[in-house]
Amino acid sequence: MDFYEQEVRRLGAMLYPRPELSRRIVQAKEYIDRQFQGPVDLSSIAGKAFVSKFHFLRLFKQHYGMTPHRYLTEVRLREARRLLAEGLPVSQVCGAVGFDSVSSFKGLFKRYWGRTPSTLKKAILKTGPAEKE
Amino acid sequence: MVDDQKKALRFYTEALGFIKKRDIPMGEHSWLTVVSPQEPDGTELLLEPLGFEPARIFQKALFDAGIPATMFKVEDIQEEYRRLQGLGVVFKMPPTQMGPSTIATFADGCGNYLQIFQV
Repeated sequence: MDFYEQEVRRLGAMLYPRPELSRRIVQAKEYIDRQFQGPVDLSSIAGKAFVSKFHFLRLFKQHYGMTPHRYLTEVRLREARRLLAEGLPVSQVCGAVGFDSVSSFKGLFKRYWGRTPSTLKKAILKTGPAEKE
Repeated sequence: MVDDQKKALRFYTEALGFIKKRDIPMGEHSWLTVVSPQEPDGTELLLEPLGFEPARIFQKALFDAGIPATMFKVEDIQEEYRRLQGLGVVFKMPPTQMGPSTIATFADGCGNYLQIFQV
C-alpha cells in the first residue's frame, strides 16, 4: 500500500469512523437531491437515518460542511437558476423548486447569487422580455 | 505533466472523453489542451510535456507516493469505474467510500495517477 492509500485510509478512519453511519448520511443527502421540489421534512429524514434530529444535524454538517436545511436551500437555489436560464417566470420557478413564498425565495436568491432572480435571468438570457416583479 | 503528448492526447480523449481544444506547435512539443465536451469554452487541461528535469523528479515523487496529479468529479463513480476498466484502464484504488465521497485512482499511462470522485 503506497503513501496516498495509507493516508486515505487513515483520514477516512479518523474523520468517518462509522462507515455505515456515513452511508446513511449520504442517503439522506441523496433523498434531498431527489425530493427537493416538494416539502422536505428534515425530522423524518433524520428518522430514516436512524439517528436523533440533533445527531443528524451534527453528522450532516460534519460530512457536508453545512446543515441539511442549508443544503436543501442551496439545491433549490441552484435549480432555480437553471430554470430561470430556460426562461421560466420567477413565480413559476419559485413553486417549481419547493419554495412557498415568492418574497422569501427572492430574498434567499439574492443573498446566494448576489442578484435578484429577474436581474440574473435577464443577464443570463440577454434577450427577451424583462420579468415583471 | 505528461511524458508523451501524443499518448496523453489519446488517453485523455479516447478513454476519459475530453476533446482537444488547442494544439499549437512550439518546437519539439505543443501547447496542447483538452476540455470537457459539456463546456468547450470552460477550463482547459494542459497536457504539458516534461521538459524540465526538476519537474520529472517531482512527477516521479508524486507517482511513487501514489498521489494523484489531479482529480475529476463524476456523476456515477461505479459506472465510470466499469467503463474505464472496459477500456483497459488499470485502477490502483477501486471506488472507496470516504465519508460523503467515493474516490477511485488510476494511472494515465503518462506518468500520473488521476482520481475520480463522486459526492
